[in-house]
Amino acid sequence: MPSPMAIQSASPTPSMFRKKSTPALNTAASYLSAVSEADARARAHGSTPSSTPALSLSSSVTSSSEDTVLHELDDETDNGLAYPKVPPTSEQIFTTVHTEFGHCANDAYRHTSQYNTEHPVKSVQEQDPPYYILLTTYISYIVVIFFGHLRDFFGKRLKAAEYRHLLAHDGYAALNSDFDSFYTRRLKLRIDDCFSHPVTGVPGRTIMLLDRHSANYNKTQILSGTRTRGLNVSSYNYLGFAQSKGGCTDASVECIKRYGLSACGSRREGATLDLHVQGEALVARFLGTEDALISSMGFATNSTIIPALVSKGCLVISDELNHASIRFGVRLSGANVRMFKHNNMKALESLLREVISQGQPKTHRPWKKILVIVEGLYSMEGTLVKLPEILELKKKYKFYVFVDEAHSVGALGPHGRGICDYYGINPSQIDILMGTFTKSFGAAGGYIAGSKQIVDRLRLTGHSGAYAEAMAPPIVTQVIASMASLMGITLSNVEKSSSSRSLLPRHSDGPLQLVNTSECAAYPGTAASSALPPWMPLPQSMCDGSDSSMRLRRLAFNSRYLNRALRKLGFITYGHDDSPVIPLLLFNPGKMAVFSRLMRARATPIVVVVVAYPATPLVTSRVRFCLSASHTKEDIDTILQACDEIGDLLDLKQGAGERWPLHEIMARAVELVKMDVCP
Amino acid sequence: MSTTSTSLEPLFSILSQTYSTLETTFYKLPGSAVVARYVKSSHQNDPGRTLLEIILILFAIRTLLQSRTRADNSGKHFVQFDEKEIDDLIDDWTPEPLAAPLSAKEQAELTNSPVIVGATGPKPKLSNGKTVTNLASYNFTGLAGNERVKERTIECLVKYGLGSCGPPGFYGTQDVHMQLEQDIADFLGTEAAIIYAQAFATISSVIPAFCKRGDIIVADRGVNFAIQKGLQISRSTIRWYDHNDMKSLEQVLENIEKERRKKKGPLTRRFIVTEGIFDHDGVMSDLPKLVELKLKYKYRLILDESVSFGSVGRTGRGLTELYNVPASQVDMLVGSLANGLTACGGFCAGTNIVVNHQRINGTSFVFSAAMPPLLSVAASEGINILRNTPSILSTLQENTRAVRAIFDKVDCISVPSHPASPMIHLHVRLPSPTHLLPMVPASPALSSSGKPSNPHSPIPRDPEVFDGDLEERILQDVVDEALAQGVMITRAKRLPGQELVEVRPSVRIAITAALSKKDCEKAANVVKAAFIKVVGKRR
Repeated sequence: MPSPMAIQSASPTPSMFRKKSTPALNTAASYLSAVSEADARARAHGSTPSSTPALSLSSSVTSSSEDTVLHELDDETDNGLAYPKVPPTSEQIFTTVHTEFGHCANDAYRHTSQYNTEHPVKSVQEQDPPYYILLTTYISYIVVIFFGHLRDFFGKRLKAAEYRHLLAHDGYAALNSDFDSFYTRRLKLRIDDCFSHPVTGVPGRTIMLLDRHSANYNKTQILSGTRTRGLNVSSYNYLGFAQSKGGCTDASVECIKRYGLSACGSRREGATLDLHVQGEALVARFLGTEDALISSMGFATNSTIIPALVSKGCLVISDELNHASIRFGVRLSGANVRMFKHNNMKALESLLREVISQGQPKTHRPWKKILVIVEGLYSMEGTLVKLPEILELKKKYKFYVFVDEAHSVGALGPHGRGICDYYGINPSQIDILMGTFTKSFGAAGGYIAGSKQIVDRLRLTGHSGAYAEAMAPPIVTQVIASMASLMGITLSNVEKSSSSRSLLPRHSDGPLQLVNTSECAAYPGTAASSALPPWMPLPQSMCDGSDSSMRLRRLAFNSRYLNRALRKLGFITYGHDDSPVIPLLLFNPGKMAVFSRLMRARATPIVVVVVAYPATPLVTSRVRFCLSASHTKEDIDTILQACDEIGDLLDLKQGAGERWPLHEIMARAVELVKMDVCP
Repeated sequence: MSTTSTSLEPLFSILSQTYSTLETTFYKLPGSAVVARYVKSSHQNDPGRTLLEIILILFAIRTLLQSRTRADNSGKHFVQFDEKEIDDLIDDWTPEPLAAPLSAKEQAELTNSPVIVGATGPKPKLSNGKTVTNLASYNFTGLAGNERVKERTIECLVKYGLGSCGPPGFYGTQDVHMQLEQDIADFLGTEAAIIYAQAFATISSVIPAFCKRGDIIVADRGVNFAIQKGLQISRSTIRWYDHNDMKSLEQVLENIEKERRKKKGPLTRRFIVTEGIFDHDGVMSDLPKLVELKLKYKYRLILDESVSFGSVGRTGRGLTELYNVPASQVDMLVGSLANGLTACGGFCAGTNIVVNHQRINGTSFVFSAAMPPLLSVAASEGINILRNTPSILSTLQENTRAVRAIFDKVDCISVPSHPASPMIHLHVRLPSPTHLLPMVPASPALSSSGKPSNPHSPIPRDPEVFDGDLEERILQDVVDEALAQGVMITRAKRLPGQELVEVRPSVRIAITAALSKKDCEKAANVVKAAFIKVVGKRR
C-alpha cells in the first residue's frame, strides 16, 4: 500500500505529453540543504549584515529564504516552479515568494524601457505566412463550418430537445438563435478547454489551475478537485504587484482593518473618502497632470467618461483596433465615428484632411470638436502608438488626443509612467490620459487624468460620479501603495526631524536616482510622504524606489528578451520590441488548442492565452504572452525551450530573418537585449 | 486591302493559337467542365443574360472590395476640394474647448458632498472633524465595517493577493468568483448567476447582450440611468409605459400584439425592462402583476433589483421574496452587490442558458478584468450573514417605518417612495399659493386627460411640473442645514441634460440597520426640522 505522501505527490492528470524530467532542486530538502550550505559559506567569509538590502520596517515581511519559497507545502512540487534553479547566497535575501515573484539577483538581467531617439526601435514589419499556411487556415475554417452546419442540420431533426432553446418555442423567439450562436457552439466550443479556466491563489509568476475535464465535449466542465501549478504568462501583471505577501498587501490589510470593505455609494452621493482624494492626487502627480479622477472599473472608465467628452456634432477618430470599452463609450456618446488603419499615420492624416474639409455629413457644418482616441499599447498586437507623430499632426489639425493607457501605464517608460515617459513626451501635451489599475498595479478600476478644468467637468458630467459605486478602500490602498513605491517617497520637511519611516539612501539597483528632494516638483517626481495615508506601512525598499526600479528594469529585460528570442527562433510575432505583450502567430485555428494544451501538459506547465476571431482577424489566430517583472531569466528560457519544441512540432517557424539556435540565444541573452537594433 | 489582311495574318494565327492553348489548359483544370456547362446553360443563346450575370459578378466584387469604414467619397454630399483649399479650411477651423469651464453653480455642485475621513458607516467622521449620523450611504444591512466580513476578506487577501489581473475568460476566474455565483444563485433560487465587476456597468451590459436591433423592449418611463444607457446601446425598438402603471403596461403590450398580428411580421424577442425599487423615486413595482402580464403576452422580464436586493424581503432576497414570487419567474434578475451587501459589483441571475450566454456576450463581463477576489469573498460572506440573521432585515424595516412615520406627516415634504423601501426620496412641497407650482400628487396618477401617453416617447403625456432649479436650491439648503445639525443626507445626484426625462429633484435617504430606531428617529427629526426651517424662510 502506498503511503499517503505518495498519493499526494502523484501527478493529478497523468498526461501522455508530460515528460519525466527531474529538474535540479525539486524538493524542499535539497533546496534547504543548498541554502544552508550557502549560508555556511558566507559565514566563513565573514560578511557583514549591512550588505543586506532588505531592511524592512514592516513586521510581517520576513526576510527568511525558507518563508519565501516554502509557501504552500501541499502543492505539487515536481514541476520545478517552487524553487529557484540556483539557490541564493546569503548576500541575496529575497522578500518575495518565489512562486509569486521570482528570485532573480543577477543585475545583468535588467534593462531600461526607453525610446532611443538615435536608433529608434521600430515595430517589426508584419510578416505574412507562406501561402500554404493561409490556404490551410481557410480550409480549416471551411471544414469546421461545414461540419457545424451538418451537425446542426441533423441535430435539429434527431435531437430536437437539445435545440429547443435555439429555436422559437411557445410563442417566444429564441433568446439566442442557432444562427447567431453558431460560432460559439460549433467553433469555440471545440477548444473551450483553453478558455475561462478557473484558477485559485495569486495570479503572479505562477498560477494554480483547478484541473477540470469534460465528459460531453466541453459542453460542461467538471472540476476534478486536483490542482496544477503552471508558469503564468497570461495574467496582466506587468510589474508583478499580484502578490499575497509584500508591502502592498500589508497596506491593504491595514486598510481593511481601518476602513472596512466599501465606501457605500457613489462618489457624489456621500461616498467620497479621504483615501479617494489622496489617491486621485497621487495619480495626477504620478502622471504629471494637473488633476485626475478614479473610477471603480476600468471598462466603465471609458464607457462612462467618453460620453461626457463628446456628443452629437463631434467626431471621434478611432484606431480600428481600439478596445471594446472605447467603442461602447463612443456609441453611447452619439458622436460620429471614423476609423483609421491601425497605427497608420498616413491614413490618419488623410482622414483628418477629409473630415475637417468636409465637415459634418450632409450639413457640412464644421465639427464642434474632433477627438482622436488611441491606445498606448495594443493588448492584442503588442504595438505601441506612434505618439510623437500624432502630436505633430495635432499641432496642425487641432484635434484633441485621448490615450488609453490600460496596458502601457506602469509597463513602459524608464519610470513606469507609461507611453509619455517612454517617448520622453511632456504629458501636458496629451489632453486626456486614461488608464487602468488592473494591469500594472495589481488592483482594479481606472483613472482619467488631464487638466483640472477637464477633470472637474468629467467628475460632474461623467456617469460614474453620480451613479457608480466608489472604489473600495482596500483597492485604493493597493493603488496608492504600488504607485507610491514606483515614484519613491520623499519626506516632507516636518517629518524629516521626527521620522517614523527612516529613509536610507537608495540601494544600488539601477542608475535611476528617484529619491531627490530638488526633483520633487518636476515630472517624473516622487511622492511626498505627507500626501500618503499616515498609517500605511511600506517597507524600506518600497519607500526608496529600489524595489520598483528593480521591477521596471526586470520587466524591460524580460520583454525585449522574449520578443527578440522568439524572432531569432524563427517565429512570426507582432508588435514592438519593448512591449510586454507578445503575440506569436499560429494562423491555423486547430493549432491554438494544441499549442495551449501542449504548453499546459509539459513537465513545467506553462499557462498561455490563445486568441482568435472575433478578437483578431480571422486568419491571424495567435498565442499571447504577457510578461511580468516577476519572471526570471530562467523562466523565459523555459518558455523558449517549450516554444522551440512545440514550434517544430506544429510547423510554426515561418518567420524570415537570421535565426539562432536555442542554446545560443540563451547564452547571449544579455547581448541580444542590449543591441540597439535586432539584426 | 489584301496587304493589310496578309500583314495581320501572323497576328491572327498567334491569337487563335493562344486561344486554343488557353482552352486546353482550361479544360485540364479539375472542375472546369462544370463551369463551362454552367456558363453554356446560363447563356442559352441570350447575350443579355450573360451580360447581366457579368454585371452582377462585377458588382459583387466591387462590394467585397469596398472598405466598410470609408465614407461616401463618391456620394452626392462629397465636395471636391484641392489641397490648397483643404489647407485653408484646416487653418480656419477652430474647435470648441474639450470641456467648458465650470460655472459657479457647477463648482458648488462639485464641492457640496462631504469628504469622510476614515471608515464610512452609520456614524462616520467628516473632514471638518465632526462625527455625523449617516443617512446618505447605501448601507441598508449595516454590513459596512462588519468584523466577520473584514476577517474573511483579510484571509482572502493574504492568500490571493488583491487584483485578479485578467478578464474572466483568460485565467481571471477564481474559485471564489465561482463560489459567489453559486451563493447568489442558491440565495435567490435560480439556476445560475454571473457577476460583473461594477454594479452600474451590469445592466447596461445585460440588456444589449440579449436585445438586438429589431427586438422589442417595453420599458418603464422612470427607469434609472444605467438601464437607459443599456436600452440606447441595444438599438432595439423601445416602447414606453407610464411609470409603474400596470394598466398602461397592459395597454402598450396589447397594442404591440395587435400591430404584430396586423403586420404578420416574424416573431421577435420581446422584453419588459423595469426596476424592483426605482432608483429615481423609491417606488416599488407590482411584481406579481408584472409576471402575470409577461406570461400572458409572452415577454421576458429583465428586472433591475439594484436597490431592492438586500433591502426588502424577510432575509433581503429582494422583491421575489417580498411578494413570494419564485425568482425563476424573472428571466433576468439583475442586482447590485454594492448596495445591499456593501461589497462591489453586480450580478445577473437566471437560467443556465441566460447566464452562459452572457459569459460570451456580456460586453462588460468579457472585456473587463474580473472582480478582485476579496470583494467576492465579502459578498459571499454578506449573503451568509443575511441568510443566518433575519433580524437585520426586520430592524431595517422597523427603522424605515419609524422614519416614514415622521416624514409622512410633514406638510412641506412629499414622499413618492413605497412605505417598505429603505431608500426614501423626499420632494419638497411648496405650499405658497403665490408660487406657480401646482400641488403635485404624491403618487403619479393616470394622466388627467384620460388619454394614454405616446408609447414611442419616453416623455409622459402629462409630465410632472416642477421648478427644478428652485427645488434643487431648497433641497441643497436642507442638506446643508441637516449636516450642520449632525445628520449627513444627500440630494439625489443626477446628470442634468443626460437623463431621458428630467427627474424631479429630491433628497435621498438611505436607512440602515446599523442605527438604532431611536437614532433613526432623531436623525429624521433633524431632517424634518431642516425642511421646515428652509421652506419657512422662503415664505
